[in-house]
Amino acid sequence: MVTAPLLRPVKSTKSHPVEEVLPVLPVQLRNLIAGLPLEVLERLEEIRLRQERPLALGLVHKDAFLSPEGNLVSSPEQAYRVSAGDLERTLQLVTGSSLYALEEELRNGYITLPGGHRVGLTGRAVMEGGRVKTLKYISSLNIRISREVPGLATPLLPHLIDRRLKSIYHTLIFSPPRCGKTTLLRDIIRQLSNGAPELDLPGLTVGVVDERSELAGCCRGVPQRDVGVRTDVLDGCPKADGMIMLLRSMAPQVIATDEIGRDEDIAALEEVFHAGVRVLVTVHGASLAELAARPALRHLFKLKVIQRFVLLGRSRGVGTVEDILDGQTMRSLGVR
Amino acid sequence: MLKILGCALILLAGGGAGMTMAGHYARRPRDLRSLQAALKMLETEITYTATPLPEALGRVAERAGPRLAPLFNRAREELLSPSGRTAREAWESALKAFYPTSALVPSDLAVLRQLGPALGISSVQDQSKHLHLAMEQLGVEMARAEEEASRYVRLWNYLGFLGGLALVLMLY
Repeated sequence: MVTAPLLRPVKSTKSHPVEEVLPVLPVQLRNLIAGLPLEVLERLEEIRLRQERPLALGLVHKDAFLSPEGNLVSSPEQAYRVSAGDLERTLQLVTGSSLYALEEELRNGYITLPGGHRVGLTGRAVMEGGRVKTLKYISSLNIRISREVPGLATPLLPHLIDRRLKSIYHTLIFSPPRCGKTTLLRDIIRQLSNGAPELDLPGLTVGVVDERSELAGCCRGVPQRDVGVRTDVLDGCPKADGMIMLLRSMAPQVIATDEIGRDEDIAALEEVFHAGVRVLVTVHGASLAELAARPALRHLFKLKVIQRFVLLGRSRGVGTVEDILDGQTMRSLGVR
Repeated sequence: MLKILGCALILLAGGGAGMTMAGHYARRPRDLRSLQAALKMLETEITYTATPLPEALGRVAERAGPRLAPLFNRAREELLSPSGRTAREAWESALKAFYPTSALVPSDLAVLRQLGPALGISSVQDQSKHLHLAMEQLGVEMARAEEEASRYVRLWNYLGFLGGLALVLMLY
């Protein structure tokens, strides 16, 4: 009986995640948001600032605007209008008044804050040689509050552990977008890295290639999320190159990465299999048939090395484990 | 006897006042020169290592000497304060505190203030341009300050002393 729990409010000694992003807002906006009732703060996922447009909040199930008095309103006319000054000040606070130090981040369109929260930016792109060089006239910011869910992987983990070798099976997690793949992957990494005494699993050295800084939420190379004590993170590195680099340099027992799918990713994975290192990856896709329709993944399936397929869904909330398949027999391990 | 003592005091006071004025003129080029060097350091931090601004200001403060350190330290502290200051506000308030302690004149201050709105809000190349502009303008001010110094330092030294002497002669 495996049912991953819903995303539940996490009790921790750390400050509330929303509190961690407040310092990047101008004092006025900070007060408006800090004044929201606790149940709204618990559901707050995004704070969107668009120049000369209403201040919008993204909550778990809906969007809302924020009025100048600090109430949630549904009509944009009553909402607080974000001024050019608000935006400029927020941008300076987000960048620590050091925009010049963040050119790579601007090229990618987002900045990772301490705490692993991300700020997406849009404005006018400045091109150089056909590539985006930087952004200027930044007019929209989206502050995305991220939450860790420690323990999300606990019910799933016994199915992924190879008790004989005291390691993890080669595992592929797949689901449609926004079902909690990344959150689940992060928690598996954390538990593998720290070790799980109840499963008789020693801590494993995990190498993570975090191309989009989503897994570890690195800020200047230092993971801001809890990814475990034996985890090395290669931040912002293309997955294929990163896996090979980790293999050569860090001698990991497990290599984990998010959202594989290109030919070169699979080629790099093959190298990893041959090196005897365990693999933990995620892929976008709603079913195995859908995955097999993609040439690169079809090749991966032909290799027959993946030992566990995990399908996630939202049937009982984000991060529900819908099915676990054995890679050899392709039979369900009887989740429900 | 008492009269002679009084005369000596007047002479001393006149000379002292003259030297203070002369010192002011002599100090301005020196202040400008070390400011220029400090901005050069800031530029190096920004262009070569892309050091974040608060850290870069801190490093400049460490190396800029005791007269300029408070300016850069203050700007750094303001930037790091939890009240959400922008670089412009931090620089502005640091300048406000620094100006009375310096030998600078309003035109020097104007050059430095002009730097504030540009600080930290653009690309490396752009930051470098703004800092260069400020350094160049400080160079112009420095040439003027040196010229004034060569003229007025001696003038005030003599003027103070001779003024004292004249007063003594009148009173005697």
